[in-house]
Amino acid sequence: MGWKFDNPLYTLADEEEVNRMIQLWEAEKPGGMWEGNNRLPYPITYLLALIILTAFLITMPIWGQRPTAELYAPMVELMDSPEVQNMATDEEKIAYLTKRAMEVLETSDDSRLPGLLERHPISWLDLQLIAPAIREIASSGGPYGLESYNVIGDQVVLANFEGNWREDGLRERVQPWWDKGFTIDVFYVTYFIIAMVIVCKRLPPYQRKPDMSKV
Amino acid sequence: MLLKYLFAKNEDIPPGTATIFFGYSSIFWFVIGTGIGSFNAAKLAFPDFVTGTELFAFGHMRQVHVLAVILGWISMAFAMTMMYMTPALGNTKLWSEKLGLWTAMNWNIGLSLGLFLLWMGFTSGREYSDLIWPIDLVVIFGVLLPLGINVWMTIAHRRTQGIYITNWFFGACIFFVIVVFVVGQSAELFNLTGLTEGYLTFWFAHNVLGLWITPVAAAIAYYTIPKLTGNPLYSHRIGHLHFWAIIAFYSTPASHHLLAAPLPEWLKSFASVEGVLILIPAVAFVANILLTMKGRWSMFVENVEIKFSVTGVLLAIPLNMQGGFQQTRAINWYVHGTGWIVAHAHLALLGMSSFLEIAAVYFGLQQMLRRKLYSLALANFHYWFVIIGFCIYWISMTIAGLIQGAGKIYEVPYIDVVIAEHPYMIARWVGGTMVFTGNLVWLYNMYMTAVEGTVVPKGRYAHELAYER
Repeated sequence: MGWKFDNPLYTLADEEEVNRMIQLWEAEKPGGMWEGNNRLPYPITYLLALIILTAFLITMPIWGQRPTAELYAPMVELMDSPEVQNMATDEEKIAYLTKRAMEVLETSDDSRLPGLLERHPISWLDLQLIAPAIREIASSGGPYGLESYNVIGDQVVLANFEGNWREDGLRERVQPWWDKGFTIDVFYVTYFIIAMVIVCKRLPPYQRKPDMSKV
Repeated sequence: MLLKYLFAKNEDIPPGTATIFFGYSSIFWFVIGTGIGSFNAAKLAFPDFVTGTELFAFGHMRQVHVLAVILGWISMAFAMTMMYMTPALGNTKLWSEKLGLWTAMNWNIGLSLGLFLLWMGFTSGREYSDLIWPIDLVVIFGVLLPLGINVWMTIAHRRTQGIYITNWFFGACIFFVIVVFVVGQSAELFNLTGLTEGYLTFWFAHNVLGLWITPVAAAIAYYTIPKLTGNPLYSHRIGHLHFWAIIAFYSTPASHHLLAAPLPEWLKSFASVEGVLILIPAVAFVANILLTMKGRWSMFVENVEIKFSVTGVLLAIPLNMQGGFQQTRAINWYVHGTGWIVAHAHLALLGMSSFLEIAAVYFGLQQMLRRKLYSLALANFHYWFVIIGFCIYWISMTIAGLIQGAGKIYEVPYIDVVIAEHPYMIARWVGGTMVFTGNLVWLYNMYMTAVEGTVVPKGRYAHELAYER
């Protein structure tokens, strides 16, 4: 079990340990079979790195979130204006309102909103159905704002997400783009990589191949 | 024939007896499992098929199919491979042939009883954990524990200093599956309900797949591919990466099955990332095996065991690509609760896992019987019927799942979705029936191998000999 640390990315096993393992591989044929000591090919190593990166990027809750009432508030504000009311068709009305809402959301601090509206367009009829609820929430001064309500079909309901406790004793209802699950993952993956590097570097370096002709 | 050894002294039982018992049992259960699968698929394709009898209702039959395949075919094929690979890799004998025989006996009796009770409607009502708790106890103490003791003791009594990678997986996975059964079934034992029950149900379902069905199948490939090709395993160190990555990343994401449930959101975030990271062991495994094939790809055409094995390894690629991404919030929202998931489950169990086991059962039975396969033509028939049948099933159910997903999201009336997916239900039945037919042929071929197969001389392997007929 000899260790050495002078070149840890080459090997963590001293020469005696490396020789012992190589000799063992050359002497033993479990079930008549051999094992090679090849490294993971470079393209596959890069693929693994890409997988780790992808795992975080694709799972963030910015993807697949439900639309919030906040998205449609600018539309509700404008929907009764003469400008909109004078338009001939429902399609024209909603296209105009979506464009105006998008302009408002693009100036918002929350950069997720324009993308969410793009993925969750609404029809004129549905907008009419949810408008009273949105107006009521906006004017009620309740503990939760429009950002904490989801629009599901023609219903506006308090989001079922339960985040951290707030100072007023209620829970956060806005899903953050990062939560402690991701933090745990960062540590978990880091520990795994460190452990795997130690495990693999304790083996003979991949440049040292067992000579199977000795078997 | 085999039963006479149940009360014989261990020394008097010929090596390989337990392997043969398990091997034929597994094929038998594969035929039963896929036969019931074909029957169930017919009920979905043709709603007027066998109606009016409660016992043949889909709700009675579905779980019998699932459990016959998982505990009958797949797990018995695993036990069969453990009975011959574990001692072979330790250059020793099986610790106890007698214990192996009794395990096989208990397994067949316990499973028959369990499936009969399921059929009669005695069920825990939890998917994959459908068996009632007394049968769970039989599985844990009458089947898995004795199997584990035999494998662990054989490894402990090996005549090699090192332990080959296949045996790492065998030894570890039996331990894991016992823990998974004990913890997973505790919901019923301790009358846990609600979210706890839901979570434990899918903790069990996830881990029985991740720590038993797929890694043991992979372990089998680590034996069959180098053994049959004569090549050394490409890399011992990549084997380490595969093994430890399975433990790290497959044991943790159970809650990605319950993204719509009121579990803590951070737990779902954690599980979703881990779910994608399952691609790490998958990539390591596929790379290691395909690189081991270097210079021997002609065997993919010529050798039936390699044909099955490599197909299983190749199917691991779409399996893990699907598995990694379908459990993210964005995609799961669309495919959850649809036929897509059924297609994916069959890709895991009937695709990747079963193909690797079929290869090992072909190879192991010929070795233990010391007889060459009765008919290569029938084996090739088996291969093509299973692969074509499987592909028809998988593709049709994937499409049906996408239709159901669209119907769910756009709130299409349910009956319209049923009508839209009807052609795919027929295709599903055709595919499933082809698999069943292929397995019937396999059972016949292996029976004839035992009765009329050419005797393999000592010191030779069956696949090294030319066919005599």
